[in-house]
Amino acid sequence: MKLTLSPYEMEIVRKKLGREPSEAEWLVIDALWSEHCSYKSSKTFLKSFPSEGENVVMGIEDWQDAGAIDVGDGWAIVLKVESHNHPSAIDPFNGAATGVGGIIRDIISKGARPIALLDMIRVGNLSSSKNRWLLKNIIAGIGFYGNSIGVPVIGGELEFDDSYNDNPLVDVAGVGIVRKDKIVPSVIKEPGLKIVIVGLTGLDGLGGASFASRKLSGEDEIGAVQIADPFAGKIVLDVTLEVADKVEAIKDLGGGGLVVGITEMANGFGAIVDLNKVPLRVKDLSPEEILISETQERMLFAVKEEKVEEVCKAFEYYDYPCAVIGEFVKEPFIKFYYNGKEVVSLPSELLLSPPRFVWGVKKKKRNTGSRPEVGLEESVKAIVSNFVSKEWAYSQFDYEVGTSTVLKPGEADAGLIALPNGKLLAIKGDANPDLCSEDAYECGKAIVAEAYRNLASVGAIGIGLVDHLQFGDPRKPEVYNDFIEAIRGIAEAAKFFSIPIVGGKVSFYNENKDGVPIKPTPLVVMAGLVKEKFLRNKVDESYIVLIGFTRDEMRGSLFTKIFGNYGEVPKTRLNEDYLASNLVIDSINDQSIIFAKDINKGGLVGALFSILVKGMGVEINLGRIPSDSDDWIPKLFSENSGRFIVLTNDPEAISKKSKGIYVSVIGKVTRNQNVLKIDEKEINLEKQILNYYNYLDEVMS
Amino acid sequence: MKTAVIKFPGTTCEVDVYKALLEAKVDAEIVKFKDFDPDKYEAVVLPGGFSFGDYLRAGSIAASTETMKKVKEMASEGKVVIGICNGFQILVESGLLEGALLPNLNLRFISKWVYIKVVRDDTVLTRGLDKKILRMPIAHAEGRYYHEDVEKAKSLAVFLYSDEFGNVSEKANPNGSLLNIAGIANEEGNVVGMMPHPERASFKLTSPTEETDGLLLFRGLSK
Repeated sequence: MKLTLSPYEMEIVRKKLGREPSEAEWLVIDALWSEHCSYKSSKTFLKSFPSEGENVVMGIEDWQDAGAIDVGDGWAIVLKVESHNHPSAIDPFNGAATGVGGIIRDIISKGARPIALLDMIRVGNLSSSKNRWLLKNIIAGIGFYGNSIGVPVIGGELEFDDSYNDNPLVDVAGVGIVRKDKIVPSVIKEPGLKIVIVGLTGLDGLGGASFASRKLSGEDEIGAVQIADPFAGKIVLDVTLEVADKVEAIKDLGGGGLVVGITEMANGFGAIVDLNKVPLRVKDLSPEEILISETQERMLFAVKEEKVEEVCKAFEYYDYPCAVIGEFVKEPFIKFYYNGKEVVSLPSELLLSPPRFVWGVKKKKRNTGSRPEVGLEESVKAIVSNFVSKEWAYSQFDYEVGTSTVLKPGEADAGLIALPNGKLLAIKGDANPDLCSEDAYECGKAIVAEAYRNLASVGAIGIGLVDHLQFGDPRKPEVYNDFIEAIRGIAEAAKFFSIPIVGGKVSFYNENKDGVPIKPTPLVVMAGLVKEKFLRNKVDESYIVLIGFTRDEMRGSLFTKIFGNYGEVPKTRLNEDYLASNLVIDSINDQSIIFAKDINKGGLVGALFSILVKGMGVEINLGRIPSDSDDWIPKLFSENSGRFIVLTNDPEAISKKSKGIYVSVIGKVTRNQNVLKIDEKEINLEKQILNYYNYLDEVMS
Repeated sequence: MKTAVIKFPGTTCEVDVYKALLEAKVDAEIVKFKDFDPDKYEAVVLPGGFSFGDYLRAGSIAASTETMKKVKEMASEGKVVIGICNGFQILVESGLLEGALLPNLNLRFISKWVYIKVVRDDTVLTRGLDKKILRMPIAHAEGRYYHEDVEKAKSLAVFLYSDEFGNVSEKANPNGSLLNIAGIANEEGNVVGMMPHPERASFKLTSPTEETDGLLLFRGLSK
């Protein structure tokens, strides 16, 4: 029996209970008190997130599986993000696939129909065959599951960094749509309901929640990885939505399996469950195995007695197992029976209130050097070589199913889907581990601002976000400090933009085999609605207009990652992001621009490269870039926020609308294919553009 | 034509096809696989997805269901049978269409907008569309058409992968299909199978060029 409870926690259990728990009871407590399920090291600070707003239908505090936001006309979207980092490190195909399945089931738990997925993938350098193996199987796993259940993957991120060598990050976000008055809770409000389980329980994913709450041991932990069965997942999806208005509560059996599902659903009430009634995939599972198995494609329903037959009949149409296994009761004890004997009897209160931890903090020492001596051409080429087309990845995803994908993957900085009420929903996930490892607070603000700009670049305004906080071992003071700083930054920016945080997830213990933590990787996924018109980017001969002000703040940028760290950390001036974004949206609505892209990785050059890869040339004049420095390095490569480039034939139409934001014509798009001309210097990027299109295909084949 | 859109367990495109048929003014409804009564319909569409999880081989389990026996009856009565993507795979597995659909040459799932050229106009979908070039997406892992008799395959072909000008070249072949075949029909022309998804090119908003070429095909069912 592998437990992650500390001796201190075990002592608390003994004291509260007044006896030594049985082996089965220890497993139950271990799952419920795991970091994965209890948020014991993070909850104190997560409470600082602004989670309220007029449009919030269901927020974090409701202790539900996903948040819900009003999108008008009686409809709400359900938004959720989750990672499957640890399973994907061991079995990338099943790890990634079950990550998708888990998100989908969280969404249908609210009675919502899943309509889009995003995947944000971070792996180590692809020069290593292990990392190629990881990436290939992660992408195949996401495709396998997402394609089979008919939910389009409409966007995402793919990033490479040595920090993820042993510990890839596999984040999946999902969006669902539901009638506001049909949202189903995940917890019961009254006892007396029958507990119904659908799906078979097997031997995979044993103790997965506990496994995700410690660092990878390097030993054989394959038993803790769940196996994906998207065909079963599709039946669960279809039928759960069919019966959603006939049940009182729905919960996905995810991390922690049956014990966590039932205890959380009971919501402080009690439950009596007969484990002999749980439909099994293999004979002779022990009661302990049934309790903590995390076999996928299972759901839990709280159902009024008179509705049970109708609910199970819908599943039986597809020969899918459905069984009543017990009842929610008033007495606040969670009790499991096996062969007529009581194997677990624990107070709900004990299970739902693990000790909270606030660990020590310490500021990381950051080394910084001086401005490197590099040439213009050399640095431009080095920067743009980092940008590669993700077509190899997204062409493996069915991004058209549902016939609502308006902007296709790779087409813009945000995904865009049509909702049943005719509105258009934009969605984007953003992280910036390079900046976060320099200053997690500024980075927390920056990623929210970046997501806000990304949505603006297609014409949308953010309405809600979910976050995913991925860090190393929280007991390490430097890791915990970054964690708290990132939360501060995200909370502050969300408050500034008045965008409620409706849900989130925390993933600790992401470290390599030597105990070195990953770069702090908080990630936000923001959803927004198109205000009037949306923009489908088009590159043609036109003026290049830079919106915003460029600052000599180079630390944590792609440039300093390549040439050595120096300079100041970029400060996120949120009001500049707000004003610049609104200017872009207004310019989309009056149709004065044909292309918009926010400036982030690689700075101005990074943004201009997306024009060059469309088969055009670019000419810019450094003197026209408003900046607090005459140095060409920040002008070209600074990643400070609040900036966009847009293409237009009428720059005046943009500048006259500006409210205190620089609008500068810095150059033009030319027919001089592959050539970036900076002042009088012509740089031919043909090789880098070929690399952009071919790199992933070549390295992965 | 009163048209049934069949939903097998694992089918994912039934609603998309249904919506596109409505857009093309076709009298259509979605029918669950066990509830299908062939006498009520003049045409049936088997939409895309992963019927029965595509376990064993794409389309093979669905091909041996009672539902497909009824579809075969319809075909033999001369009624219209259309299979899209997984539906095409089911038609091939059930013997309603000749040939086989093998794993793509690159052994990966491919999701992509392609051009196809109409080379037979004696089917209900393609009447009046001979030589027409259409744009729509594909999304499959097993779509490489194969037939041991190349001449036969040529005579069955309805759609060929091409470039935007209608040139049928190896470069325009996304999956290694024999002769660039994207879709075929039986000799009578009443059973048609195709890998590309016309329903995904039936709505202006979600079409990259705002063209709705899929509707040109579906309108054949509206008469």
